[in-house]
Amino acid sequence: MSEEMLKLTIDKFTFRVPKGLYFNDAGAWVRLEGSVARLGLSDFAQQRSGDMAFAEVKPVETLLKPGDEFASVETIKVNVILPSPVTGAIAEINTALEDAPELINQDPYGKGWLVVVELTDWDSDKTKLLDADAYYALIKVQAEEEVKKS
Amino acid sequence: MTRRVVIVPCSGIGKSYGTVAREGAYVVTEDLRPDTTQLVPLSLLVLGDEQARADVSGAQAITIDGCKLACATKMVAESGGTVAHDLAVLDVYRRHRDLKPSGIAELNEGGQRLAQALAEEVVSLVDALSTADSLPLSQSDGGRAGDGGQDA
Repeated sequence: MSEEMLKLTIDKFTFRVPKGLYFNDAGAWVRLEGSVARLGLSDFAQQRSGDMAFAEVKPVETLLKPGDEFASVETIKVNVILPSPVTGAIAEINTALEDAPELINQDPYGKGWLVVVELTDWDSDKTKLLDADAYYALIKVQAEEEVKKS
Repeated sequence: MTRRVVIVPCSGIGKSYGTVAREGAYVVTEDLRPDTTQLVPLSLLVLGDEQARADVSGAQAITIDGCKLACATKMVAESGGTVAHDLAVLDVYRRHRDLKPSGIAELNEGGQRLAQALAEEVVSLVDALSTADSLPLSQSDGGRAGDGGQDA
């Protein structure tokens, strides 16, 4: 999948932010695909969280509104509950993550996707999300703060 | 002449999974298979210690990595050893989800039990290697060396 990428390099880390995607401030990304949206965990969020041990997503037909948990991941460092960035019903889940949660680390915007949601209120959801430029600015601040702490 | 399988764990400094790797290696080399295994500290390989490199060079090694950087596996290969098996603590944890490790200097109970489970997996690999006739196993004298180096 070829998407134009913003790249943020802080210290020894490089974080990729695809143009055209939307994000919530927890690091969930949204890629519009017609009337559905594919969701995943951003490159910044996965690198910050560490190597994935387990990834669990809510089952198909689960109804979501922004802020509802749609997935959780356990890494070698933290347990992360991911709030949904959109309203709708889960239509598909990435079953490959059951055996290979490391796909989230290896390919966060591709094979490491989490769920597909049938959207029901995108026009409203979109107003609460960050575009790539805004998310880039957010993670730049967060990454610089982490570097100062280390 | 003792035929030994070389065990090289993550240095285990600063992270729970590294500590599990190191503790699991101790269980294998000190308790479960002291006669057929030899611990080689990763820190000595990183520092270029001649004896450690000699122990690894040409030997069959089992590496135990604490994270995806896989320092143990990389250093054994760089030191001329043969990585017969490379284990990752994270993979072992995925098979034992109830054994969540935490703690660094001192592992919690889950971490200690995970180290034991890891050791049992290593032992089965050691036994298979030790009984193979044609493998060029390490011929050096074993014994636990110190592991006071840094994370590689």
